Amino acid sequence: MNTLNISSGPHTRDAMSTKRIMYTVIIALMPATLVGIFSYGLNAFLVLLSSVVTAVLTELLFCLITKRPISIYDGSAVITGLLLALSLSPSSPLYIPILGSLFAIGVAKCCFGGLGKNFLNPALAGRCFVLISFSNTATTFKVDAVSTATPLAVLKQGKAVNITEMFFGQSNAVIGSSILALLIGGLALWAMDIIHGEICFSILISFTLFIALFGGQGFDPRFLAAHLCGGGVVMGAFFMATDYTTSPVSRLGQMVYGCLIGILGAMFRVFGSASDSFSYSIIIANLFVPMIDMFIVPKPYGHRKAALARLEGGGKKTMKEKLPVPVIVLAVITLAAGFALSGIYTMTKDTIDEQKMNANIASYQEVCPDAVSFEKIEAADTAIAELEGAVYGTGFGRAYINSAVEGKDDSGNTVGYVIGVTSMDGYDGNVTLSLGLDAEGTVNGIAFTTLNETPGMGMRVDEPAFKGQFNNKSVNAFVLNKAGNAASDEEIDTVTGASTTSGAVVNAVNAGLDFFFNTVKGGE
Amino acid sequence: MERTTFRGGVHPKEWKEFSKDVPLRVFDAKKDMVFVLGQHIGRPAKPIVKKNDPVKVGQIIAEADGFVSANIACSCSGKVKAIEKRRNVAGAMMECIVVENDGQYEQISDWTKREELSGLSNEDILNRVKAAGIIGLGGAGFPTHVKLAPKDPLAIRYLIVNGAECEPYLTCNDQLMRSKAPEIVEGVEILLQLFQSAVGVICIENNKPEAIMAMEKATAGKNNIHVKALPTKYPQGGERSLIQVVAGMDYPVTKLPADAGCIVDNVGTIYAIQRAVLYNEPLISHVMTVTGEGAAAPGNYWVREGTSFAELLEETGGLKEGAEVKKLLAGGPMMGIAMSSLDVPVQKNNNGLTILTTDEVEQAEAQQTACLRCGRCTTVCPQGLMPQLMASAFEFNELERYEKKLYGLDCISCGCCTFICPARRPLTQMFKQAKAEILAIKRAASEGGKK
Repeated sequence: MNTLNISSGPHTRDAMSTKRIMYTVIIALMPATLVGIFSYGLNAFLVLLSSVVTAVLTELLFCLITKRPISIYDGSAVITGLLLALSLSPSSPLYIPILGSLFAIGVAKCCFGGLGKNFLNPALAGRCFVLISFSNTATTFKVDAVSTATPLAVLKQGKAVNITEMFFGQSNAVIGSSILALLIGGLALWAMDIIHGEICFSILISFTLFIALFGGQGFDPRFLAAHLCGGGVVMGAFFMATDYTTSPVSRLGQMVYGCLIGILGAMFRVFGSASDSFSYSIIIANLFVPMIDMFIVPKPYGHRKAALARLEGGGKKTMKEKLPVPVIVLAVITLAAGFALSGIYTMTKDTIDEQKMNANIASYQEVCPDAVSFEKIEAADTAIAELEGAVYGTGFGRAYINSAVEGKDDSGNTVGYVIGVTSMDGYDGNVTLSLGLDAEGTVNGIAFTTLNETPGMGMRVDEPAFKGQFNNKSVNAFVLNKAGNAASDEEIDTVTGASTTSGAVVNAVNAGLDFFFNTVKGGE
Repeated sequence: MERTTFRGGVHPKEWKEFSKDVPLRVFDAKKDMVFVLGQHIGRPAKPIVKKNDPVKVGQIIAEADGFVSANIACSCSGKVKAIEKRRNVAGAMMECIVVENDGQYEQISDWTKREELSGLSNEDILNRVKAAGIIGLGGAGFPTHVKLAPKDPLAIRYLIVNGAECEPYLTCNDQLMRSKAPEIVEGVEILLQLFQSAVGVICIENNKPEAIMAMEKATAGKNNIHVKALPTKYPQGGERSLIQVVAGMDYPVTKLPADAGCIVDNVGTIYAIQRAVLYNEPLISHVMTVTGEGAAAPGNYWVREGTSFAELLEETGGLKEGAEVKKLLAGGPMMGIAMSSLDVPVQKNNNGLTILTTDEVEQAEAQQTACLRCGRCTTVCPQGLMPQLMASAFEFNELERYEKKLYGLDCISCGCCTFICPARRPLTQMFKQAKAEILAIKRAASEGGKK
């Protein structure tokens, strides 16, 4: 008889291994990957490829340098590379996925001890690294070479977005933006018990509830769906937050962690800047995981209060014990508050609109002083609705038409028009202005309703020296003159050192003019 | 508050097809018999025979030393060859009585005279169980007469008969229930006389339909004994799992099943009780399964205590030709002990010999990765523990946290966490070691206090 093996039991093992888990996750990511490549083409493929290859090579190199066993075959580096690429813009220049992967594997994973030891989700750490380092390039989403706003940026402005497009991944977002494909993979992983439902569903539920309570539109399903479909919520909930290493091990801990992500993400959405908030909320929640694991240790079955009470009471279960009272109370409060808010929103929607109108009237009168009243233009409203919140026209950057009204005098004659325009290309956010025109299309003046630019720089566009340049000019479009000393009517001198803001204003005015001549005037 | 199943648990491959339909056969050893004095929980038995004393089948050769201890009956006839240290299944040197087997099997009595239960007092029952040297045959080996004497017998509400046999490969209890169903039911009735307010619940995993049918037939018309079919899941046959399922109760490891109003006994133990109480027969043999990929003729046997494992295997077909044996297990692959040699005696609580030709532990060592923190161990732990955190506390030598904060001593070493771990980490092994270290520290502290 040959030598016998001696070891402590059990002497058999489940078929599921680390490698198998990782490869299953890779397969689950395939629908989103393929849809991404299909929708965005070659560059998306190159972004994916470079990210994955860099991730694997980085880990290999690290193993070789530190003389650790080669760990690249377990598939975890491939997942990191894949997830990172899926959360990048398809038009990213290739150095972005490469540097991102390098940071994700090299710093966030390997330097902290490799598989199972990292405290931040490597893919998200890599993503945040490139977002911070190359904020302009990394957040630019180009479709057919035209810069466009992400659906969330549009939503942030209070406009309707096309949810169907978001669902199938045809909107302007990251490579892995098809909600349907992500859901197929994510739900399959959940069904196979590879990811914890406690995490993904507590994220989705807490996020939805928070948006419903504080998003300002109550339980409006279109609004909620748009928020859920955008900004990586689904990818975050199913693929990022569920990363084993950076999530708690206890069920209760997982729910706490999920709610933390959901609420943080929603808070950033509602009160902060819209884009990429979800990455940061997951990264922040990752930091809390060691603490959650330290403090939330569920008692073993026999030590729980109910079990001990039953042991004393001879096995009888009290009615109170059966009801999860805190859960019911919380659910009732949340639902009541949500319905109350949505009720109030619906009831007061007209009033809110009226107030918005009144607030705008001040700026209308500033740029259309001859008018005593302002009326809606039906053709223009229809045209704005048809835009569905998309960027207006081409050549105006990320400009949006908000409103168009005509100004009337005492006797009801049209004396001018006011077009509300927003440009997203400001240096520090949005620039919204009212463009006043007389009946023929000559500029009466512009007035800003939203302007959050750098004081002393961008904010100077609100000074007469700049905005006065538009007055009393009758042109089809203005041109920004960065050299100064504008010679013709079309040329507008830039505010020194603030050409971004100046450009945004010019683009907004041009978009307004274009809309006026083509839709308001053209419609008549 | 009955439940359909317990929380946690795993589904290892069953591997029962090797031996599940092979009927029980009596196996009589020819070679020397070795009786380990400390094969039960509690103090080892005291030998009451000397070298060269003649002995017969059924003769008590070692007596219980104190209350928590058990008698040992000789299972062959012959003469005492030696009282010396021999290796037991776990590989430890233990004091043993070695009997030279004359192969005659001369009995001290034929144990055919039946006494009716109605003529026996509770005391008689307990005395006979004690005299027969019955211990828990399911594996733990706790003296049965101690278990059957709780503080308040009337507080016992459930007498749980463990026929789950959740351990992969093993089928001997399945065969025992199929062939001895009426006797087992009689055994249950004996115990119900001790626990007047209890009902008997015979728990069988639903992968043994024949056994369920046999037991149902035997319990027909008895309204205080039920058969309960349970989902097939390991460790369904664990004491705590059964109590969770039958009584809907959890209790801390510091408490006994009796505190939860339950008495749990293995079907084999119940059968032994029936023999002891109604026929005065001591425990001299029990059922065992010889199985595994490496066994030439897998089957189920009545094996006498003290038989050598080597002889058992040899005489029941031996190794399969050409089989490359990797591991020999006393018991099944989940709870069984890997033996370094087959030259060790069968104890009362051994219920199988499994011969493995592939060692999954060896493969697991090659596949081991860092802990992923996937939480599977937490999901499957039938005790509701956090094996992942326990392992890291143990690795950092935080024994205080391990014991107090993570309730590490509640581990029942069922092996579910190790089985399921995708990173192939030897969790159960760590917990056994942690437990041993903590108990050693405590023992040292209490001894230091006495001085």
